[in-house]
Amino acid sequence: MDPVNPWLDADEVRRMAERLMMPVREPAVSVADAGFDEAFVGYASERPAPPAPPVPPAPPAPFTPVKPPAPAVAPSAAAARGPFLDRIQHFRDWMSREYAATGMFILDREGAVIFDESDHGRLHFLARSLALASRRPGTSAANVHVKIGAGTTLEVIPVETAYGCLVLGAVVVEALPPAAVSAVMAALAQVAAPPTAT
Amino acid sequence: MINIAVSSQKGGVGKTTVSINLAHAFARAGVRTLLVDADPQGSVGLSLTRQSRLLTGFYDYLQDPGIPMDRLIVPTRLETFSLVASGQASDYEAGGGMGAHLARVRAFLRGADARGFDLCIIDTAAGLFGVTSDVIASSEAVMIPQQAEPLGIRSVPKLLEGLNRLRVLNPRLSVLGVCLTMVQQDLAESTEAAAALRQLLPPEMVFKTQIPRDGLFVRASARGLPVGVLDDGAGAQLVFDSLRAEIEAKLEPSDAAHATFG
Repeated sequence: MDPVNPWLDADEVRRMAERLMMPVREPAVSVADAGFDEAFVGYASERPAPPAPPVPPAPPAPFTPVKPPAPAVAPSAAAARGPFLDRIQHFRDWMSREYAATGMFILDREGAVIFDESDHGRLHFLARSLALASRRPGTSAANVHVKIGAGTTLEVIPVETAYGCLVLGAVVVEALPPAAVSAVMAALAQVAAPPTAT
Repeated sequence: MINIAVSSQKGGVGKTTVSINLAHAFARAGVRTLLVDADPQGSVGLSLTRQSRLLTGFYDYLQDPGIPMDRLIVPTRLETFSLVASGQASDYEAGGGMGAHLARVRAFLRGADARGFDLCIIDTAAGLFGVTSDVIASSEAVMIPQQAEPLGIRSVPKLLEGLNRLRVLNPRLSVLGVCLTMVQQDLAESTEAAAALRQLLPPEMVFKTQIPRDGLFVRASARGLPVGVLDDGAGAQLVFDSLRAEIEAKLEPSDAAHATFG
């Protein structure tokens, strides 16, 4: 009897292995641009990060929703945009209340921004890369967390929805426990669900 | 300095045996080698030093930035071979998720580099999370001992998934490959599992050298020695010399920094 192959997807394993043997494109962002503070040395580059260019002052509102990409989440932007953003705002408030999230963004399956908080746009690259690296076809998406600075952790939670996989990035004090991750996944899936006919 | 993490998804696959004897093989070849015990179980220290539980070590350094690097390094009778034990703090909660100890691990490796070592081999705890993930995210290369038995090989997909994730944090990480361990030529399940793994993965991802299951390793560990030091250990030493040569060939390409292995 074959001791291995009945237990795993050989094609998928081979694809993952081949991906590991290929050189990885260096991230097109510096450590600073990736959104980490001075404590983070995650990327392999030992070069000091160039001084950050001056950035315009952030708008006063802590969260600034951006226009959702039409096909990914809102099939009919005119009809769905308002209610969807309302639901996202409620979700953000809930994340803040329940898990002390100080920032949040949501990307669609193409990496386009559905919702963002102005201060954390630089974490998108990391979040999407982690989410992509954590996914395997045929399995449910898994969460990943990475410490991004003193007392701040980026929790990356891929969530399967009717519109494909959304990537939630939440800036929290420490990694969320599994039960909390499940609750967040369920909540975001509900938020992103298309309106039901009444 | 080159850093090689010795890691696996599953425990009990021979990481410590591979780490100790591979480090010894490099040191015998004249490469100034530092073997670091980053497994909270302290297996390297327990194998090679009788007073390992008294030594200040790697986890102490992670916990206390005030500990000088020189206090950690334990010389051996072989001039080119030094150790860092796991340490007193090795039982402390080593979790904290990916990235929690990255800065301290990087500081440790910079300190080792500054002390003139050519190679740092890091024996990690099983699983690709916590401190182990930070060690891999700080290393140039990772090698994966894998016991030649069906159950262990079924954990390979999870291992590959974890390594792909860590390469997001460390795009320069080179995966040296999987090294089959505890191979029993007289046991069909063992040889079949080894053959299945070789069929499953790309050839360049599995070391040609296999580590046999051998009572010599138990005897060497009991005496606190690398296997090559035993009177009848020459054969086993050849196996690790072969593994060393394969690693040197994999690390050689173009980078002038690797010339210390030449």
